Amino acid sequence: MTEELLRINGLSTRFFTEQGQVNAVDNFDLRIDRGDVFGIVGESGSGKSVTARSIVDLIESPGEITDGEIWYNEPDLADAVREDRPEAVDGTFVDLRRISPERRRSLRGTSFSMIFQDPESSFNPSLTVGEQIAEAVEVQRRASANPRSTRARTRSEEYSLGSFVLSSFLPSKRYVTEASRERAIELLELVGIPDPVERADEHPHEYSGGMLQRAMIAQALAGEPDVLVADEPTTALDVTIQAQVLDLLDELQSETGMTILLITHNLGVIARMCDRVGVMYAGEIVERGTLEDVFDDHVHPYTEGLLGSIPDIEGEAGRLQPIDGNVPSLLDHEMGDRCHFADRCPNAMEDCLEHPPEYDAEGSNDHAVRCVLAAQEYDERRAIPDGYFDETRPAGDKHVDPEDADEGPTVDEPQRPLEEPGGESP
Amino acid sequence: MSFGKFLLKRSLQGLVVIWGVVTVLFGLRAITPGDPVNLIVDPAVDQATRDRIREELGLDQPIYVQYVDYLQDLLVGDLGYSYQSSRPVTTMVLERVPATLELAVAATVIALVIAIPLGVISGTRRNEPADYGATSFSLVGISTPNFWLGIMLILLLAVQIDIFPTGRRPVAFHDALWTFLTTFYVGDLLTWLHHIILPAVTLGTYFTALITRLTRSGMLDEYGKPYVTATEAKGIPGVLIRYKHVLRNTMIPIITVLGLQFGTLLGGAVVTETVFSWPGLGLRLIDGINNLDWPLIQGIIIFIGISYVVINIAVDAIYAKLNPRVIDE
Repeated sequence: MTEELLRINGLSTRFFTEQGQVNAVDNFDLRIDRGDVFGIVGESGSGKSVTARSIVDLIESPGEITDGEIWYNEPDLADAVREDRPEAVDGTFVDLRRISPERRRSLRGTSFSMIFQDPESSFNPSLTVGEQIAEAVEVQRRASANPRSTRARTRSEEYSLGSFVLSSFLPSKRYVTEASRERAIELLELVGIPDPVERADEHPHEYSGGMLQRAMIAQALAGEPDVLVADEPTTALDVTIQAQVLDLLDELQSETGMTILLITHNLGVIARMCDRVGVMYAGEIVERGTLEDVFDDHVHPYTEGLLGSIPDIEGEAGRLQPIDGNVPSLLDHEMGDRCHFADRCPNAMEDCLEHPPEYDAEGSNDHAVRCVLAAQEYDERRAIPDGYFDETRPAGDKHVDPEDADEGPTVDEPQRPLEEPGGESP
Repeated sequence: MSFGKFLLKRSLQGLVVIWGVVTVLFGLRAITPGDPVNLIVDPAVDQATRDRIREELGLDQPIYVQYVDYLQDLLVGDLGYSYQSSRPVTTMVLERVPATLELAVAATVIALVIAIPLGVISGTRRNEPADYGATSFSLVGISTPNFWLGIMLILLLAVQIDIFPTGRRPVAFHDALWTFLTTFYVGDLLTWLHHIILPAVTLGTYFTALITRLTRSGMLDEYGKPYVTATEAKGIPGVLIRYKHVLRNTMIPIITVLGLQFGTLLGGAVVTETVFSWPGLGLRLIDGINNLDWPLIQGIIIFIGISYVVINIAVDAIYAKLNPRVIDE
């Protein structure tokens, strides 16, 4: 039996930059069932990471979640919230956008965990790996010693500067307890780190990239989260290590039954890991459905384009089909009210000058597409003439990557079509 | 590399630096024009006496013999005798160390106590009034010359309002502390405190301003790093992120500056000590320079050089403890 865990309606995350407002995530809808592995795939700059961070509440200035609802199915939390904010509760669902920031923060690590793209920069270089994982264990340990219903009342006992100063003089007042440290070692063992006892006392720079990503998974598991958000978990790793990390995630998922939201630009990873897929383009999901829907019965020309840019090692050796052009800038004043993909779409028609609604498509019940082709056949007579968009969108690229706006210069991801490293064929 | 090996390596490097300082000083003295004998006795004294003095000082020997003698004496801590007062330079230096050390430590304490909280506030409340206040303060602090600041403080707080003494050090800290510990009399300690505040503020202002700026920019820098977001995602309380993660990493470069600056405080207290007649090494160095008292000048500079090296090694050791990557590199 499947049960809905997350229901996101009309989520919009914007970045207010000097060039203007960037609509990184625009009126975004998503449903995720408990125990599912849901993949979001798209090119760099399509808003995938911002979506992930919006869910975990890690959006920082100049970014802001401006609109939308994030309904999270958690009966305990619903009971706790119902007293003071009845409008934020619907059955067992709670709207995370309408609860207090403190309560929202208390879900980090315990309900939602996140794995990041680059393990080397995601650990504090001057603390041991064991200590950092033990911190995450400690968060969970304190949360469960202090159930959600009473958490609001005990807020005054939250960790303060006083407790920090005290802890630097009294070892017994340290934030991280010995029990948490031991649990950290168990977690390291669980994710397959050899000699976990010694390894726990080492610093991140003494680990290899793959080991560190395992350690980060251990850290994310420390809070026994409902949802694990994995943002490009394998992108920074080399191919053989990628496979190991994916195996590990797969294994842990089937053991714990946690829900995974997997963000990647790699369709091979999606095919290997996911039950359901959302294809993201310009801040919205343009096609979603089960793995089969998206891979075999896809309707959207963008999905078609993504799949066309994967090398097929079994088929004929032909040239790969890249998608022409770049992802749009996502700047509000340049977006216009048309299908955002129309300027790169080989099948763009006059109807595409209006922003398409989401249509049901053939295949499973979940299969939906934001493209007029789901409702009508391509008609060449109504096609938009070549060069039509060159006037409306200047060729001199004012490309603003919303992820850049968020984190400063990021690792230089190639702006080329998607590819599948290592030929991990589905 | 282990921590011990790392320390040993740094200490050996430090020895080389000290040898360099000593040699350069010896060279400078050798090429300085003027006959040292003239500084000791009246130039009108007869040649026989002059030759006797020259022989006593070993100045009749070839330069390399003088150099070896000089190094041998140094190894046993003998810095020679002052031309001016004929007292052993080693004693003259050591008796002035506590005053300078007191001043340098007091200035550092003032700097740290003010600068780090100010920098943390500034760095976590960027572009808010508190931040503007802190940045303006540090700009003024960095650009104020300390001889001017010292004189202004004396004019305002010692002469006009008369709440602080104009200078001097009537009691040494270790004596005051000893009195307190044996007789529970706090008067001496308070007198000491009363006298050291103005010089310490004067000496420490630049330092305070510098550390404030470094802390602010360091905090901002660290907050921008991905590991902070990752730590937030774990659900770690904000206070712990700020102090255990961000501030700790910010302190790593600050420790280096702190060490280097402390060395500068020891040597650079010359101006402040002069303004406040604080009887430290700096004041004695000025005396020595005014009288061309080479052994004294040499002794003080060697002492400052050695302190600098020792402090640097200590800083490296702390740095290595805070940032384990240093040892491996």
